[in-house]
Amino acid sequence: MALLTDHEDHFEKALRRLEAFSSFAELMAERSSGGRLRFDSSAVSPGPAPRLGGVVLRAWDGQRWVEAAVASFEPTALAATAQQVIHRLPARTSATPPPGEAATGRAERVVDAKRPPSSETVEDRIALAKEWFGWATSVPGIHNAIISLFDTEDERLYLSTAGARQYQRLVRTGASVVPIALENGRVEYDYMAEGRLGGYEVLDRITEDRVLEVARESQELLKAEAAPTGSMTVLMDPSTSGTFAHESFGHGTEADQLLRDRSYLKPLLGQVLGPECLTLVDDGSWPDGWGTIFFDDEGHPAQRTVMVDHGRFVEVLHDRESAAAMGRTARGNTRRADFMGRPFVRMTNTMVEPSDWTFAELLEEAKEGVLLQSCTSGIEDPLGGQMQIKVKKARSIENGQITKRYSSMGLSGRVLDVLRAIKGVSGPEDFAMSPGSCGKGHSDILPAGTGGTYLLTEAVVGPA
Amino acid sequence: MTSAGPQTAFRVADVLRGRLEAPWEVYGEHLRRFEIHLSGDRIEMIRGPLEMEGYGLRLLRRKEGTLGIGFSATSELSTPGIARTVEVAEATASHARFPAPKAELPSSDAATTGDIETVDARLWNEPFETLESYAHQLLSQFDGRGTVVPSFGSIKATLSQSTISNSQGLERGLDRTTVEFEFAVKASGGPEGAPPGEYWVVRRQGSLPTDGIASEVDHWCRQAEAIRRAGTPASGPQKVIFPPHVLADVLPAILGFRLSGAARLRKLMPEPGAEIGSEKVTIWDDPTLPFGIGSGAFDDEGSPHSRRAILERGRVVSGLYDALHGAAFDLPSTGNASREGTFTSESIRFAHSPQPGTSNLSWEPGDGGTDEELIEAVGEGIWLEQLGYAFPDAFSGAFGGEIRVGYRIEHGKLGEPIRGGIIGGLLFGGPGEPSLLRSVTSTGSRPRTEGSLRAPSVVVDPMAVAGGTGT
Repeated sequence: MALLTDHEDHFEKALRRLEAFSSFAELMAERSSGGRLRFDSSAVSPGPAPRLGGVVLRAWDGQRWVEAAVASFEPTALAATAQQVIHRLPARTSATPPPGEAATGRAERVVDAKRPPSSETVEDRIALAKEWFGWATSVPGIHNAIISLFDTEDERLYLSTAGARQYQRLVRTGASVVPIALENGRVEYDYMAEGRLGGYEVLDRITEDRVLEVARESQELLKAEAAPTGSMTVLMDPSTSGTFAHESFGHGTEADQLLRDRSYLKPLLGQVLGPECLTLVDDGSWPDGWGTIFFDDEGHPAQRTVMVDHGRFVEVLHDRESAAAMGRTARGNTRRADFMGRPFVRMTNTMVEPSDWTFAELLEEAKEGVLLQSCTSGIEDPLGGQMQIKVKKARSIENGQITKRYSSMGLSGRVLDVLRAIKGVSGPEDFAMSPGSCGKGHSDILPAGTGGTYLLTEAVVGPA
Repeated sequence: MTSAGPQTAFRVADVLRGRLEAPWEVYGEHLRRFEIHLSGDRIEMIRGPLEMEGYGLRLLRRKEGTLGIGFSATSELSTPGIARTVEVAEATASHARFPAPKAELPSSDAATTGDIETVDARLWNEPFETLESYAHQLLSQFDGRGTVVPSFGSIKATLSQSTISNSQGLERGLDRTTVEFEFAVKASGGPEGAPPGEYWVVRRQGSLPTDGIASEVDHWCRQAEAIRRAGTPASGPQKVIFPPHVLADVLPAILGFRLSGAARLRKLMPEPGAEIGSEKVTIWDDPTLPFGIGSGAFDDEGSPHSRRAILERGRVVSGLYDALHGAAFDLPSTGNASREGTFTSESIRFAHSPQPGTSNLSWEPGDGGTDEELIEAVGEGIWLEQLGYAFPDAFSGAFGGEIRVGYRIEHGKLGEPIRGGIIGGLLFGGPGEPSLLRSVTSTGSRPRTEGSLRAPSVVVDPMAVAGGTGT
């Protein structure tokens, strides 16, 4: 199959058309493809992910950005799209450049997948899913399990009139196992998911022991008791603390929101917001993370940003405009969901760094409360500073011991209160990364990783 | 409404006809998207046209008493691109398995219902002008409001031309406008100490009506101000009124799966006649709603569909089937094939193989009267204005989220605002399990359309609320 770079001459021509009408223009060409498989007791559904490709053109009109996109690499379509942008630019070219520093790097980076998805046959994939299905349904009471395998290859080429040329090919592979427990019309499940940059070697992390454990948990949830409600001590598992870092704090540090006066964190930069044991990081260069990228969609290399350093709020995430406005440098956090989506300041892999507590010590410290496990979602409240996190299951903590099970719980609270109430964060032995999807508001969904260890704090919880 | 558009599926079908073994089906789509992004009280970015044209090819292949379903979607419209798509779809069909010996795709003989409004003509004919005019009208509503200002937003209009063609000779086309609207209003200033409050509106709808902007902005500004003085709700079971815009985030996702042939295959669908709600719950699948997200004279396979009860007085009437899942139970399609994908707010349908689901839902109004009369009748409880995100779980039937803003109902009137805490539970559960649908005690008489749901406000008693003090 032809590479994206085979069309590079056409891309360059489209960009040069804009150069005559704008002080700065850029282009991002993308092609994506991949594979999917869904396997359960009733159907086997293999299928490719959609093969999509297209180009977005962006130009500065002196005051704001103008964009147009097309799902084609054909010269006539690209010329017509450039013309659509030109049509919306002022007749007289503004000499004013867009705010911030333009990337000028020229590099090519490709994920080194040890077992590229393209080398895995449909038979190989079905055999893998069948094996996991067999493990899950070997647990008494589990009659069905939904197995999903997914991989994507996302190829992006960024060009700009400032001379940048950044090419990257990202391969992501993941899978989930959802054993279904059913009794008298009541449906319960627990789940496990893996996803990283790389090929099918990523799925070696799904082992028989882990599948059996999640299947047993699904079955046990049929006996779950009514969830408690109210403000209490909460111990988050690594999947939940990672989502906590992402939703509660990460979105509030996206600097475009600070420029809009739409972040509760804006007046707090430089202040101590949490205990010494709390360090929060966003890292687009994390090895093999689900949200890892080589370059962002303004051509800047991805990097590690420490947002909270031992309790002190020290840095936010930038695109070129916000970096200029705040006297900082762009940090590789400008991302488009795809060539149809606009660029925003976005997270990559967001995590709670390990500290030095042990899980046993945190349980003992908690005494009474709930342990939240298997996080399913969260949503931000960038200005209000509230947060919502949901988990698939929870356990009661009584006298420092794990006891009863609860199903489907939610957590709510003021982020600053929850940060101040943090009593401890466990060590590197508990650290885990999870694959996830992140929206800016309610759209522009893209891959983002979250990570963390166990974290002990206080919040409001209830059934959800 | 169908225009003489690019007719994507018909063009692809012309290449396939006579060369590809039946049955097959092509769903084509040409999308043009136009966007205006707002930051504060200014237009931050103009985007468009953002053009996407593509198609999904589905093949049905018989194999040993089952069907192998092959599906492949792409934006590659060249003849070699089509050949590659066929090759990939055939390869996947050879490994796929679906538990039906055969399935009939719809033919052009099947009559469809009359014209259903799916296109906002003004938006269709002058997309940029209409969006810009709307944005300016919206922003002008804040003149003179002082400390209540717009903070962030986007208005995205997608104009889609869908076409379906299959080996049965069916050729259908549908034009549709979809508007994704996101807008946040911030209240600040005033006496020292009170933090700013933000009310965040998110909608997906079939048109961009300009009537009533002023009263809507008034409402949003009141919510933003209310958030600043909101207290925490008390914990425990309470009477809660759910308005239609909150129900719209919960019902379609859960009912659309749990009452479908896909759930029945997995033994997750209650039997027809099963009681899953109170007598106040009668809900229709309704593709006839003007500008509903799922409206149209036919479904995403081209089968005709019509308004049909799915729950009557709390009992399951029948399921939702597309051609494939109907065939698995020797039933005809009910016209409920949907290509709306999870998380595809960007309105791309061709990338998804059809699955059974709801078109739109209509909840039959009751005798509870206006919202004010429902509040008066409740006496003491909570009016739930907005959840963070309800995160409906189609498998377990659970939903719930943080209260972003609500009101205490005291002595039959709206009282102080509340914020924080969790409202949630099961939308519907197994026999005897408490659930929202089983706990509906009253339904209002004034339905409103929100996205793919038309419903009145409903009273749920009891509903679990997690707030300030534990239980």
